Amino acid sequence: MISRRALELATAVLTGSFGAAVVVSSLDNGIGWSSAGVDAGTFPFLTGVIIVLGSLYNLVRGLLPATTLASVPIAITPIELRRLAGLFVPAAIFVAAIPPAGMYLASALYVFAVLAIPRHQTVPRALAMAAATALALYVVFERMFQVSLPHGALAAAFGF
Amino acid sequence: MDNLAELLHGFTIAVTVPHLVLMAVGVLLGILVGVLPGLGAPNGVSLLLPLTFGMQPVSAIILLSSMYWGALFGGSVTSILFNIPGEPSSVATTFDGYPMARDGRPTTALATAFGSAAFGALIGVILITFLASWVAQVALAFGPPEYFAVYFLAFASFVGMGGAAPIKTVVALAIGFAIAAIGIDTVSGSVRLTMGIDELVKGVNFVVAVMGLFGIGELLVAVEEEIHARAVSSKIDWGEVFRAVGRLPQHSVALLRSAAIGCWMGITPGGPTAASFMSYGIARRFSRRGRYFGTGEVEGIISPETADHAAGTSALLPMLSLGIPGSATAAVMMGGLMIWGLNPGPMLFVDQKDFVWGLIASMYVGNIVAVALVLLTVPVFAALMRIPFVIIAPLIVIICVVGAYSVSNSYLDVVMMLGFGIVGYLFKKLFYPLAPLVLAIVIGDKAEDAFRQSMLMSKGSLGIFFANKLVTCLIVAGIALLLLPLALQLARPWRKPASRTKETTAKEKVII
Repeated sequence: MISRRALELATAVLTGSFGAAVVVSSLDNGIGWSSAGVDAGTFPFLTGVIIVLGSLYNLVRGLLPATTLASVPIAITPIELRRLAGLFVPAAIFVAAIPPAGMYLASALYVFAVLAIPRHQTVPRALAMAAATALALYVVFERMFQVSLPHGALAAAFGF
Repeated sequence: MDNLAELLHGFTIAVTVPHLVLMAVGVLLGILVGVLPGLGAPNGVSLLLPLTFGMQPVSAIILLSSMYWGALFGGSVTSILFNIPGEPSSVATTFDGYPMARDGRPTTALATAFGSAAFGALIGVILITFLASWVAQVALAFGPPEYFAVYFLAFASFVGMGGAAPIKTVVALAIGFAIAAIGIDTVSGSVRLTMGIDELVKGVNFVVAVMGLFGIGELLVAVEEEIHARAVSSKIDWGEVFRAVGRLPQHSVALLRSAAIGCWMGITPGGPTAASFMSYGIARRFSRRGRYFGTGEVEGIISPETADHAAGTSALLPMLSLGIPGSATAAVMMGGLMIWGLNPGPMLFVDQKDFVWGLIASMYVGNIVAVALVLLTVPVFAALMRIPFVIIAPLIVIICVVGAYSVSNSYLDVVMMLGFGIVGYLFKKLFYPLAPLVLAIVIGDKAEDAFRQSMLMSKGSLGIFFANKLVTCLIVAGIALLLLPLALQLARPWRKPASRTKETTAKEKVII
């Protein structure tokens, strides 16, 4: 279970650290005024400062027992968290599998896995859908629009 | 009268067989992404974008804008038949649309929604026809300070009127600007904010951000609550369609009021979502039958739908004439314009007359095509909703992954897209607005350039933003909008007793 407050704090910390990274990184480009006009780092520096300040405000708001937050104390219930993970974890594995397996194989495996393993579909139907997905991608992108999707290290090893 | 002649010329461009086919294709694809949860108009348009590179710009924009109309209509279909808003902007349509459909009047609900939506869109297009070229003419005289002031005003109006928590809006905007700054700086040529990742030199494409924020993010929000697509009958009774549309003039006050709200929110970048909610709220307060809202009231469907489409359409006005998109989808289209080598802004009306007036004419035709097609295809798309979410979800993930990859054949983009997905989920969950974030990514560079050019002109003095009446007005209006939430907060203690009584009466009304 994740409380609304924890989620607010985590997001504020996330945006704040991005802002801090922007501030630090923009200092390399120089901030302020030079002979060429406004330095390249100035604008990012300002946005970074705004992000940090805004995040701090949101962080403090999240820490305070505000009435608006109290009305929805729980942001994500355990069941919801399981559903989220059920979607996101396979998707992340799919993305991680693209460099070695290539887009076609990875997407076919992905479709097969999410349909057959939780028994949403029978194995033959899941297989058919997985094959159809890869084929559709191939026809639409490689053939119709001439966009080459990654074939992967595996296919390269076989000489494709 | 010049405008009308130009418009007629535009019709000769828009009403040709290839363009009508493109409109039909665009509208159908738009309804598809509008109906599917997790895919929305911004995603759909960015998915199609790479496929338009080989087209004439006018054909490409007709395809993309038709998709936008289709998505606006498609979102209403699922709102009414399934109580699932396919688009954020059609959430308000569920309040009265679904109860009416459940009561056995799905055709009435759909026809009322489409009829008022078409009316809203029509008002929006008429506004564009008569106002856009005038605004562009005024904008031709703009220099960098004026441009920066207009950008500033646009961003400030998100903060002041967007409806989300003001500081969250500011953070979202600033993050967008920072993302826009990643990569090579166009003025000095130096590399910025790559954080040690060499591939980031090319910058972060807005399509990658849109795929993640709106695609994966929305999917994660949708999967959280198990969707039960319990549809009411989706059969269309054609006689009732015409009777329902025929009854619309009885609600002309609501129609006009909602169209006005929609146009206002579309031009000032409040966006269709804010417009539909605002229009629904105002209608409930002013309608004589306000207390019945939420039980299937006709005006409860008319108000959000008219405002939604009026805002969606008029969001293209500032995009065309000033180069500032009024909604997330318009921002994506403007990104497309820049890729096609057009420079969005007043010069379009001088250099690209065919493009501008072809697009405006196609809006008239496209909306008619959209209404006809959406009515014809309601049963088909309603059947689509019965496909289990577990099958649709992985397909949408694959579409987003391939879409992000195909922007510049980069695996890093896919990984970033997934990261944007998490950000999109967190932001949606905690009511950070996404539209300003996308808008800032698309026009961040232009706003920065305008600022730096102004500074060059004035040799570093901020006084240039108060140098003439126009610029001063724009900047002051922007500052006023920025301070509006603060002022409202400060005024709250005095207003509290009054508003509390109002709230209780509103609650009582709901109970009654």
